Amino acid sequence: MRANLSKWWHTIKIAWSNQTAYRLNFFLQVIGPALVFFFIKYNLWSAIFAGDRAQVIQGYNFSEMINYHVWALIVGLLGQGHTAMNLSEDIRMGRISTYLIYPFDFWEFHSASFIAFQLLQTIICLFSIAALYFLGIVEFHGYLPFFQGFFYTIYVSVFWFSLQFLTGILAFWLEETWILRVLLMLITAFFSGAIIPLDFFPPLLVKFLYFTPFPYLTYYPIKVFLGSFTDLLTPYFTLSIWTVVIIWLNSLLWKKGMKLYTAAGM
Amino acid sequence: MFKHYFEVYKKFVETCFTQASSFRLSFALLIIMDLFFYFSALASVTFIFDYVPAIGPWSKDKFLFFVSFMLAVNHLHMTIVSENFWELSLLIRTGQMDFVLLKPIHSLFTSFFRHFRPASMLNGIAAWTLLIYYGIKLDLAALSWVLLPSMILTAFALNVVIEMIVAVSMFWIVEGLGINFLRMQFQQLSRWPDFIYGNITRRVLTIAMPILLIGSGPVRFLLDWKDYQLLLGMIVALVVFFKILLWVWDLGLKKYDSASS
Repeated sequence: MRANLSKWWHTIKIAWSNQTAYRLNFFLQVIGPALVFFFIKYNLWSAIFAGDRAQVIQGYNFSEMINYHVWALIVGLLGQGHTAMNLSEDIRMGRISTYLIYPFDFWEFHSASFIAFQLLQTIICLFSIAALYFLGIVEFHGYLPFFQGFFYTIYVSVFWFSLQFLTGILAFWLEETWILRVLLMLITAFFSGAIIPLDFFPPLLVKFLYFTPFPYLTYYPIKVFLGSFTDLLTPYFTLSIWTVVIIWLNSLLWKKGMKLYTAAGM
Repeated sequence: MFKHYFEVYKKFVETCFTQASSFRLSFALLIIMDLFFYFSALASVTFIFDYVPAIGPWSKDKFLFFVSFMLAVNHLHMTIVSENFWELSLLIRTGQMDFVLLKPIHSLFTSFFRHFRPASMLNGIAAWTLLIYYGIKLDLAALSWVLLPSMILTAFALNVVIEMIVAVSMFWIVEGLGINFLRMQFQQLSRWPDFIYGNITRRVLTIAMPILLIGSGPVRFLLDWKDYQLLLGMIVALVVFFKILLWVWDLGLKKYDSASS
């Protein structure tokens, strides 16, 4: 047990070093897109509310709308920042052969990398929140909503990681998994309320979306951060079911994929 | 010379078609991905306009015409050049650029036009149908319809030239992946009309890095011929930035030190 924990700890440290080695690349790839996305939304809503920032559009005045998008930025960074790019490359380039002979599984290695990534993202998010708070762009809604939102977003990231893992191991069958990954990001960004709040969607579509995990990935955690939603049982329960299903699928596909694996490049 | 380049490009396209036909699932997924992107771009604007009468000076139909114009530009980008930007970082990092430099054809051409996406090409039907639909809704003048294809081509050219300049920085950076993400952020910024941005941002993104001219220049002109200043700016920017591209490309090649040798 202790030896196993040591392996995890060392892998997390290595993954941390890898991610911080090319800082410019990390910034451009992970933080930059989230900041630009927020910048566009800030400008768009400024143009929409121009002239009368106190007017209320679908339950939001200007300040509330910007607060929504600031928390969308945080949820995006912390909950949906991780990608399975390295994972699918490991399969495609035949690098998983190494994991098959090492006493540390493929999923363990990538889970440890994910933990390192999340630690880094947590630090970035805390700095971002502090900076935005002192600049007067975001409002703080109390410690309880903050911690509830933070832990729930971490839970979202576990779901997101399992989903990314799924798209990654599809590299056993697909020549290019990036298409699936981008498609997943596009669908999630739109249907989770990251682009515009779900309150602007047609009611029938919103009703349907609640049968999917999407509202629980961005819209719900934002509302928890804002202190508007206090029912945490439903989102935790719903996400848990989806996570279990995806982990089961991952395990199934991994076993099937291993039968196809030809160790390309060896 | 033009015929020679055309023959080479024809070969490039043929090999890409052969390659694409081998991976049918990826082919289908790429079509779905582009179509969903079109849907989400238009639906986001439509949902907002369900609750607001106008954004800046534009009504819903004008805004949607702008979005579909940018989707048509994006369609050309995805089909003709997009994949090449991702391949460029690989060419530089692995030293495969050597083979590009050895060919008796301009290295810019081979680097940025080698890979063509047949799957994205098919989505042109959707992109142009949307553009024509919103153009009809706005009752565009006959001259605007005639000028529309050339406007899209010019906007696409400026978009590509700016992105190529950004991509050249890969010669100086070990890991070029981040540069591609930076390039995509410029695309994101250009997909919205210039008037949504504040004064300083608008000036920077119109003069220093003229990505806002890509859409706003031609669309403003197509909607109102008196509004031609940004269109002129786009044409001037295209010439100036093409010159800059040739210059920085040569600088980049001097910096290239062939990883394989």
